Amino acid sequence: MTAVLSTTSAPAGTGRTMLRLHRTALIVWAVVFAGVSAALLWAYGPGASAAADEWRRLCLNGTDVCQWGPGLERYNRVYALAEYAIALLPSLVAAWAGAALIGRELEQGTAQLAWTQGVSPARWLAAKLAVPAALLTAGTAVLVLLHRLVFEAQAAPMNWSWYDDDTFAANGPLAIVWPLAALALGALAGLLLRRSLPALVAALVAIWGTSLAVGLATPRLWPWETRTGTLRTGYPGGTVDVIFGGQGALTSTGARIADPMCRDDAQCLADHDVTGYFTDFHPASHFWPLQLIGTGLALAVAATAAATAFWLLRRRTR
Amino acid sequence: MTDTALEAAALGKRFRRRWALRDCTFRLPAGRVCAVVGPNGAGKSTLLALAAGLLAPEDGTVTVLGTDPASARARVGYVAQDKPLYPQLTVAETLRTGADLNPGRWDAAAAERIAAGGDLDPKARVRSLSGGQRTRVALALALAKRPELLLLDEPMADLDPLARHELMGVLMVQAAQHGTTIVMSSHVVAELEGSCDHLLLIGDGRVRLAGEIDDLLAAHTRVSGPAQGSLGDHTVVESRTTGRQLTALIRPTGPLSDDWRASMPTLEELVLAHLRNPDAPALTPTQTPSPAESGSGAASGSASGSESESEETRA
Repeated sequence: MTAVLSTTSAPAGTGRTMLRLHRTALIVWAVVFAGVSAALLWAYGPGASAAADEWRRLCLNGTDVCQWGPGLERYNRVYALAEYAIALLPSLVAAWAGAALIGRELEQGTAQLAWTQGVSPARWLAAKLAVPAALLTAGTAVLVLLHRLVFEAQAAPMNWSWYDDDTFAANGPLAIVWPLAALALGALAGLLLRRSLPALVAALVAIWGTSLAVGLATPRLWPWETRTGTLRTGYPGGTVDVIFGGQGALTSTGARIADPMCRDDAQCLADHDVTGYFTDFHPASHFWPLQLIGTGLALAVAATAAATAFWLLRRRTR
Repeated sequence: MTDTALEAAALGKRFRRRWALRDCTFRLPAGRVCAVVGPNGAGKSTLLALAAGLLAPEDGTVTVLGTDPASARARVGYVAQDKPLYPQLTVAETLRTGADLNPGRWDAAAAERIAAGGDLDPKARVRSLSGGQRTRVALALALAKRPELLLLDEPMADLDPLARHELMGVLMVQAAQHGTTIVMSSHVVAELEGSCDHLLLIGDGRVRLAGEIDDLLAAHTRVSGPAQGSLGDHTVVESRTTGRQLTALIRPTGPLSDDWRASMPTLEELVLAHLRNPDAPALTPTQTPSPAESGSGAASGSASGSESESEETRA
């Protein structure tokens, strides 16, 4: 009887407890979400039309040089700030998860209080991860959609580039999965160190380290597009608005070598057997493959961290 | 239903290199109020945390209410030494949390009654409570889940005598009304005398004495006599000589010779003698409990169980 009751109705109880314990975090997340959404909605609506008007007035009147007025400035700044807030989320989540969600509970013994209140350590950790994960996912999914709207609408030529790190992440599932990876890494740091401040620092280091590594690895995991140029044309053109990979010289056998920097020195070119040049790059059409690779890697980080956290907890307690 | 509330077999727990608890074997029958006594750092908290399932043992097993600590979780109440509570919650929210986390078991009326006894404002934040009030809330949380076994780690430390008396009363009522087995640790023996009927003395990570207090006292005798007198083959726990007078605490193995004046030791004398003499042989119940045992006053193990191993005596 009690066994049935505790397996069926405990999740609701632990979920309610989670919300009660982390009310402040919930409020902060609600405020951040509302603020960023409002900023993006403004940029999509009134901000965009003001910027477009100003662009037509200042820059399409035949002048060679045009200076942005307050409308364009504000449009750009609000967009950039909203994007920056989205980019900052993983760090905030990691710090919170390491310190407040897990580290402090173990430090103060309140985790042990929960574990002796009929909630097994594994279920406790599951609630600790699931409730914030659900709220984060719901929020970031909306933010990504709004960010995409603003980015695609781009009311005037703002020079927003798709491959800019923060823009790239905020335009796809990366902005949804990195906060989740941060949550899992923070929880793991909290469980490992069992104190809030060291866990906060470790969680930040972990999320920065892994996102740096994933950011470096991602472009190398999808085949580059390559363009070549002859000795006469030099490096190939047409590579604007792209992520650059390797560049260099080609020999008569088709081998890739480092550019010997001969310029027009025919003797030098002959010595090195240079017959052309190449450029590797990811064009904008590679956006989705790159997004999905990064998302997969971030999810792998999240899953590994969460699994390790559960394993650690199971080994330590009964 | 089992009549054993708590049983340890060769239980051991190590923190890094140091053994906090080692080769710990004892059995506590249900319905007892058991004192776990020992100096600071003896392993009392480790033992209680192992029983509550908060730690995993390195060695041996601990059986709680006839099953493993994880399965017994819902039926065991535990209050840690520093009474951890969520500081940001109010008293009422803390109790509601208890109700949420113990579906099907929670006794809201009992929780409120215990908390209200301390003149507590339900809207007060936990962080603003005094030590005694915190203990009260922590006890309310542990008791309202209607535990069959209640584990209390130094429950009365840092309480003033009045609060101590009050809370001990709450516990005794619980034990009497619901038959709850209570295990409480302390390093102050006097604090537990009178309210406990079972003793577990832990020193240096090992069980030194275990059993019904009455049986343990009956198994020991305080003797005094001439300094040159022989204690024969009685097990000597402690002896000291003052001038021509020798006083000793012994476990008699047979009738005493007429040279000795014998008296019953107090619980405190018994405990102190064992703590002062770590080499004195332990006295713990045999591992196979006698079959005639029930919830009544039967001994948890024969008090003479370990005398065969007590060749080594100390004088």
